[in-house]
Amino acid sequence: MAKILVAIKRVVDYNVRIRLKPDGSGVATEGVKLSINPFDEIALEEALRMRDRGAAEEVIVASIGPAETQQQLRTALAMGADRAVLVQADAGAVVEPLTAARTLLALVEREKPQIVILGKQAIDDDNNQTGQMLAALWDRPQATFASTIELKDDKATVRREVDTGLETLEVDLPAVFTTDLRLNEPRYVKLPDIMKAKKKPLETVTFTDLGVTPKQQVEVSHYEPPPVRQKGVMVKDVAELVGALKKRGLV
Amino acid sequence: MKNAPLEALKALVGPAGYLDAGPDMDLYLTDFRRLHRGRSPLVLLPANTGQVAQVVRICAQHRIGIVPQGGNTGYCGGATPDDSGTQVILALQRLNRIRQIDPLGDAITVEAGCTLAQVRQAAESADRLFPLSLGSEGTCQIGGNVATNAGGTAVLRYGMMRALVLGLEVVLADGRVIEGLKPLRKDNSGYRLHELFIGSEGTLGIVTAACLKLFPRPVERATALAAVADPAAAVQLLSALRTAAGEQLSTFELMPRLAVELTSRHIPGVRDPFSSAYEWYVLTELAASNSGSGSGIQTTLEEILAAHATDAVVATNLQQREALWRMRETVPEAQRHAGASIKHDIAVPISVIARFIREAGDWVTANVPDGQLIAYGHLGDGNLHFNIQQRPDTDAAQFLARAPHIHRTIHDLVAAYGGTFSAEHGIGQLKLEDMRRYKSPTELAVMHAMKQALDPQGILNPGKVLPAAGT
Repeated sequence: MAKILVAIKRVVDYNVRIRLKPDGSGVATEGVKLSINPFDEIALEEALRMRDRGAAEEVIVASIGPAETQQQLRTALAMGADRAVLVQADAGAVVEPLTAARTLLALVEREKPQIVILGKQAIDDDNNQTGQMLAALWDRPQATFASTIELKDDKATVRREVDTGLETLEVDLPAVFTTDLRLNEPRYVKLPDIMKAKKKPLETVTFTDLGVTPKQQVEVSHYEPPPVRQKGVMVKDVAELVGALKKRGLV
Repeated sequence: MKNAPLEALKALVGPAGYLDAGPDMDLYLTDFRRLHRGRSPLVLLPANTGQVAQVVRICAQHRIGIVPQGGNTGYCGGATPDDSGTQVILALQRLNRIRQIDPLGDAITVEAGCTLAQVRQAAESADRLFPLSLGSEGTCQIGGNVATNAGGTAVLRYGMMRALVLGLEVVLADGRVIEGLKPLRKDNSGYRLHELFIGSEGTLGIVTAACLKLFPRPVERATALAAVADPAAAVQLLSALRTAAGEQLSTFELMPRLAVELTSRHIPGVRDPFSSAYEWYVLTELAASNSGSGSGIQTTLEEILAAHATDAVVATNLQQREALWRMRETVPEAQRHAGASIKHDIAVPISVIARFIREAGDWVTANVPDGQLIAYGHLGDGNLHFNIQQRPDTDAAQFLARAPHIHRTIHDLVAAYGGTFSAEHGIGQLKLEDMRRYKSPTELAVMHAMKQALDPQGILNPGKVLPAAGT
């Protein structure tokens, strides 16, 4: 019976104002709310809806990250995933998209899902690569930036948002899907489900268990905050506005 | 009225410092709820405390009534002039500087015209919290928050504005200034004068700056919307959370089904997070200012809810948290969309609040067929916005015509339960009759004596707070 694999990433919450570490070596995460990457949460929601419509039997949620990522996996279990796998990485280790894709491939080979869904990108590094790389390594179709997914037999019809409008794809399953913002609105976690989630299986494995060697191919030199926006000035009328623009050589 | 003093006032503040005509002036003459509308020859916008003092001095000399005004978001018409056309409005919006932040002493000194949001932001940029939190925080101003002793959604943990003020700078009715901005936690040198002005609604002096308390910023929050069978179950849940979470319990807000329905219908982005409908809901939040206890408060919240709530949803990210809060904060807005409402800002002792809701609710059902009860608010403070909403397809004018009778009945019942007819909105010009009816003659006499001592000419916000003596 069909399984769905959902990949989620633990990131600094979308609503947190990002601050840098004082030495510019990265983003400060101390005392900062960490949540499931919003696009991945949409992916999970979609997978749960597919299962609840009878299109799949089991939803497996996987993540790569430090031990604390268990919190986000528990949340995913409380949302309704059936079981979870954490591929534990060292705290602070950078997992590049290719390593993530190889790791997910190893999980795919182990779990043999019909459908893999993940966010189109993670809001921390905005790479937008993992889904595509996974499809290529797996040698299966990909439908990225999905705004609707319809399953029929062993095919999926996917609408995706592109610059020129909406594009409709049909792909053969198994396939990889990445989600866009408009696909759905994730549910709230209900209390009875939180209690149930505590009893659901959460397995921890290592890269070695999966036969993956993490590689770091990109070196970050430093981070800096965007320039602070200059304070605006109020002008009385159009004449003053034009005058001010002229003075700055903008018109 | 005579022109000469008005001209003197205009000359004093300069062309950028007043309005005497035009559509902009209108904003100062009507209150936020559009219940009151006054007339005034002049809106003064002084630039600093010195100018405020000079304005008051001129007004005192000519016995001109002054109506101080902040963000004009009050609920009782306290910042709206009467219709005599003789009172000037003194808006403090240009006094909007953050004067000083002291992260070590956990104090911030701000001018009266700073918006609450501005102060909260300034505190945050110093990694501190200024806890006062109101639906109108983008517009309301600190001077008004002090003058009305504002409450809001953080009272449960941090107290009302009174509890957050360390000192005030106040212009007295004769133009003298009390410079009381010391950031002292302890000062028993005589009467705490600044306390007098907190909640005085501009009738005893004009607050021009405040020294306020700051707190460590919560870094972990656990937020849930719980469904409960009835207000009595909500009170049980409150008690259990207090016992388990102590001072980490920072929010406990009651909402009836109707509040969830109205906000889901009228406010974009608000939706009912449950799949079935419940009679009563509680928005509750635990907050910890030290990280590491994070999953601790989450677990505490979940365990207590599991034991005491019918059902609950828990915010898994800040976006969901904000969506839950938005539901609570937009109840008044949704009520406006849904038609007329008759509002009460009452408090009764928490131990009898469930009984009160039942008795008062039964009365509404039996006696106000064209209205339905929407009692929501700060249950953790014993404070409810006990509002009656016009039913769809009924006549608003007819409904509102019975407001005085309904107010009287509800407030009498509140008094019988040992409560108050004004928990956090103040008196303004709206509740003068209630002052006369529910305050004892002794209390009123002392208040009049205080007014007489500080403003013998009666020029500061005339006609507000105190009902005229002896009538």
